[in-house]
Amino acid sequence: MKKIIIFCLACYSSLASAVLEVTILKQAENAFPIVIAPFDVVGNAEQDGSIIAKIMRDNFNRSGRFSASSGNRVFLSEDEINFKAWQSNNTEAIVFGKVEKISNKRFNVWVYLYDTFSMKLLYSDKFAVHNSGIRRISHFLSDRIYDALLGEKGSFDTRLAYVTVVNLSDGRREYSLEISDSDAQNPQAILKSNDPILSPAWSPDQRKIAYVSFRNARSEVFIQYPFERRKTRKLPYFDGIASAPSWHPNGESILLTLSKGGNKDIYSYDLNTEELTRITKDPGIDTEASYSSDGKRIVFTSNRSGQVQVYIKDLKNNKVNRATFEGRYNAKAVFSPNGKLLAMVHRVGKDYRIALLDIKTKDLTVITDNSLDESPYFSPNGGMLIFATNKKDRGVLSVVSIIGGQAFELASKVGEVREPNWSHYLK
Amino acid sequence: MLTRNLLLVLTSVVFLSSCSTTSDDIVEKADSLFKNITGQPDVVEVEDRTTTDEGDTNSSTVESSTEENIVVADSSSYTSQNSGEQSNSSTESTSISSSSDSSSSSSESSSSSSSESSSSSSSESSSSSSSGSTSTVNKVTIIEKSPLDKLKDTDISFTLYFTYDGFDIDEDSTKEIIKHANYMRDNPRARLRLEGHADERGTREYNLALGENRALSVQEVLGLYDLASRIDVVSYGEEKPISNIHDESGWKQNRRVEFIYE
Repeated sequence: MKKIIIFCLACYSSLASAVLEVTILKQAENAFPIVIAPFDVVGNAEQDGSIIAKIMRDNFNRSGRFSASSGNRVFLSEDEINFKAWQSNNTEAIVFGKVEKISNKRFNVWVYLYDTFSMKLLYSDKFAVHNSGIRRISHFLSDRIYDALLGEKGSFDTRLAYVTVVNLSDGRREYSLEISDSDAQNPQAILKSNDPILSPAWSPDQRKIAYVSFRNARSEVFIQYPFERRKTRKLPYFDGIASAPSWHPNGESILLTLSKGGNKDIYSYDLNTEELTRITKDPGIDTEASYSSDGKRIVFTSNRSGQVQVYIKDLKNNKVNRATFEGRYNAKAVFSPNGKLLAMVHRVGKDYRIALLDIKTKDLTVITDNSLDESPYFSPNGGMLIFATNKKDRGVLSVVSIIGGQAFELASKVGEVREPNWSHYLK
Repeated sequence: MLTRNLLLVLTSVVFLSSCSTTSDDIVEKADSLFKNITGQPDVVEVEDRTTTDEGDTNSSTVESSTEENIVVADSSSYTSQNSGEQSNSSTESTSISSSSDSSSSSSESSSSSSSESSSSSSSESSSSSSSGSTSTVNKVTIIEKSPLDKLKDTDISFTLYFTYDGFDIDEDSTKEIIKHANYMRDNPRARLRLEGHADERGTREYNLALGENRALSVQEVLGLYDLASRIDVVSYGEEKPISNIHDESGWKQNRRVEFIYE
């Protein structure tokens, strides 16, 4: 058993923000039933014991792969598990654990995962956790258990970034750039503005967020350091619009759309040397570029054919190939983490929906039936897709699982939510 | 995109050639180029406009009047593709009847016209093209009593509207823009901010780019008057809609360029 201490990253933000409402729209079929029992509590840590198990259950229930219940009891040890009974109940696995308060701000947490059919211990661990790290450890353990059960990583110990918009009584709008845990809890507003905020993008190291702001009455790209006090970096002024920031997987450069001389092309801006490299050169609009996770390819939107379509540039041989041929409008594509799929906005008739394209076979699958979907983005394990859509004239975020078709929604009680971005795994 | 570039090419080419000698073979070249690029017949209207530089009526001195040929390329391909989504706003609707007949006759006539003086040959090609179509002005001579008075019709808060995914300037829009060009010329301190906007359909970043293209299209027309240094082009994409209605009645109000004097 290893022992690590997890500290919560403190966010330097005093700006108010509201928790988004999470609503499960569609329960996945063929989800594995598992039990995540309330943790045994030693000492005065009652609340935290139930919170850990609840966060984990909610995570698994949102994943589309599991249906998690509490089992209605606390398990103290393996001896208390009646494996035969759980087998007849078709429960695949049982998670239980213990929380022990060892000081005002520190807890010890034990966790055990048993396979009910093999009756074997699949995973166990012990952690010392700081008070502020209770949520973090719940997501971290969810990832470990997800991995132990499916053989693939979860996407729970990650963060979201999004923009909320509230109409103020004086007619102005308040835009708020927010970050939250992957379950939309623990939201923090890191920037508020009366001017539009667009395209937030987490840096690969989770320390920075690039975004587009109109605070100077034109689109410009900024980088915010949410965990450092009041630190913002503005990229230099480029002629025309600067927009659509997207990080290189190594975090050292950023793809941008710049309209030097009015012609919108993709550029790479090196954050260390401050050098600008042109990536595309075409008289049409080239924008919405992003890297594959290995950094070897760039996908972008272009109207060079006369239609808005998606293209892939291979950075090894500098060849640009059109990726989409179905439909007259395909835009804002992103690579899946394994590089095999593209998620994009695809026009069907008059509707703009999210579609997945298999890059090799060119098979395109429309996975939503809304009319104004935007900004798809994969979870770092590729299992989920978050995007913005409109429900009853209001912007909300929707998350679907690629397997199982689980769908849930994140909505603001007071305004709209848009421009989602999913971080990589936290470090 | 192609149409926009071509508009620029055509306008600049014809503008330059009006100062020199033969324009018709350049027009012809550009005309055939246009046909080649679009792959389908489009209407190319060639017309001759005379705008007075000075405020007084019928300026007789050559120095005070500038002659400019303006070619308006109507992107009928775009609008026909998106029939039903085409905006009906007054500034957008064109009086050009875009039948393929008129287009082909236009190109034929311009190629057949012999090299005469620039203005007459271009107006000739225009007139023969209009014979195929129904309503086209052969030679529009705008004699403005006062550009200032003229601008009052449109006023400072002027907005130009566009078709879905389009950023081409049609004939009527060009007339409106020229009023602003005249105003700017007469008011050397006036600075103009062109704000491009898009409707909510499609992605935000693409719409940001599209909004800038719309504002740039306007700037290109104004650029003929050497006003570029006093014009600021920005785009808000779909971020600042006029209407929040989620259908064409709202969308057509949001696909626009706002003229804001600073």
